[in-house]
Amino acid sequence: MVVLVCLSSSVDAQIPRERANPGGPVFEVFWAPNIITTASVANVPKGNLNVTIMHVFGIATDGIKDLFGLDDPANIRIGFDYGVSDRVSIGFARSRFDKLFDFRFKANLLRQTRDGRIPLEVAIKGDMGIRTDEIEFDLKDRPNYLGAVLIGRKFSDVVSLQIVPMFSHFNTVFIEIGENEEVIKEENDHLALGIGGRFVLSTRIAVLFEYIPVFGSRSDGTRDEMGIALNLETGGHVFQLFLKTSTWLTEQHAISRNRDRFLAGDFRFGFTVNRVFSLASN
Amino acid sequence: MEQKITRQQQNHSDIATRFLNFGCRVVLLGAISLLTVQVSTGQAFMTKNGHAEFKSRVPLHSFTGVSDDLVGAINLADSTIDFYIDLTTLKTGIGKRDKDMRITLETDEFPFAEFYGKMVTLFDPESEQSQDVQVAGVFTLHGVSKDISITATLEMRGDELHVSAFWKLNLRDYNIKPPRLLIIKVDEVQELSISGRLTSVSN
Repeated sequence: MVVLVCLSSSVDAQIPRERANPGGPVFEVFWAPNIITTASVANVPKGNLNVTIMHVFGIATDGIKDLFGLDDPANIRIGFDYGVSDRVSIGFARSRFDKLFDFRFKANLLRQTRDGRIPLEVAIKGDMGIRTDEIEFDLKDRPNYLGAVLIGRKFSDVVSLQIVPMFSHFNTVFIEIGENEEVIKEENDHLALGIGGRFVLSTRIAVLFEYIPVFGSRSDGTRDEMGIALNLETGGHVFQLFLKTSTWLTEQHAISRNRDRFLAGDFRFGFTVNRVFSLASN
Repeated sequence: MEQKITRQQQNHSDIATRFLNFGCRVVLLGAISLLTVQVSTGQAFMTKNGHAEFKSRVPLHSFTGVSDDLVGAINLADSTIDFYIDLTTLKTGIGKRDKDMRITLETDEFPFAEFYGKMVTLFDPESEQSQDVQVAGVFTLHGVSKDISITATLEMRGDELHVSAFWKLNLRDYNIKPPRLLIIKVDEVQELSISGRLTSVSN
């Protein structure tokens, strides 16, 4: 009879409730595909189009005479990134300075899992820019490149950090004579390490930082890029308000051309609007 | 001495009889159990990849969330119906909207939407015609359980039992505050539907 009772109860019992994918990827290591200038390990989901409008003004600490940099020429970048899969995205963008077009991809090789089986997010990013401004350059002189490995981890719902070893190359660089007759020489190649992080203050607000020290030889007079940002998330939008040193909006330019020092007060106000659209039929 | 031998023989005979009786009962019980198992498993169906869908409306727009991770079982022997879904598997097509949904439904605390109930009208498994049956039970979402009664459509197709159902719920009934997308408010009433091909658990 015990057997029958057991059988009967097993048939009547509810199915044990189990989470569908406890070893799946963690949700949103970062809210947007970029921190400020550097890319983040967060990728655009499959079938989604992330439209990015970036704006960075002049030096803010010059005061009211140019309205804290808002009267200065602003660099503007409009970009489009499409999620080919949940791990791979491709995109292109156009920046005002140098009339730069850049084409990029990002691929997540490892996804951090919720069960801790994989503790890190690892992605690679490639970007090729080509300046299209009116300058007497042949086509072969116009390209610039970035290769980066993004290594990140979401430590908790509050803290995420990442480091990004990156390498940039410009096909053509300048040698200029400065105001004091000094020679200012640019380097073709730069090696840098992006360090970035996020601290979530609420479900909609987070603070981010990034710092990109350059290692080895570097263009004369250049400084390490640095910035802090406030992220505001509202549904399909992520608004990013930031203060950063460089007027450039791609990593390869920011690490090789920035001449300002954040801690000396040489920072600029800027913002990025990320808007996600679904192009996949549901 | 003879009497003693006779008593011993009689005792052996009693023990043998009792043993045979017990053996017969065990065999009979086993046979009944096996029959019961065959009947039960033959009438119980299950899926782990059923389809669930909800439709939300906002002014001038609507969006759909889908999942193919619906888990469910139907036992025709006792008419029970048991379905649940991990709400984090619902995808609306936009990752940011999925996150909003997880926040709204508080999926860390209440990960499942579930229904447990019984068919209250008859279903004929011998017929291969699609049949509407009335189902009554408890639907639980966001930690709130409500008695509901819905119409489900069941159909035997070979060894599979196909099921589909559609109903509406009001988010307020489940203590869910409809999310706002900027100034646009999501409709409180959500349209839910499920469908699945359930296979015999004996398979």
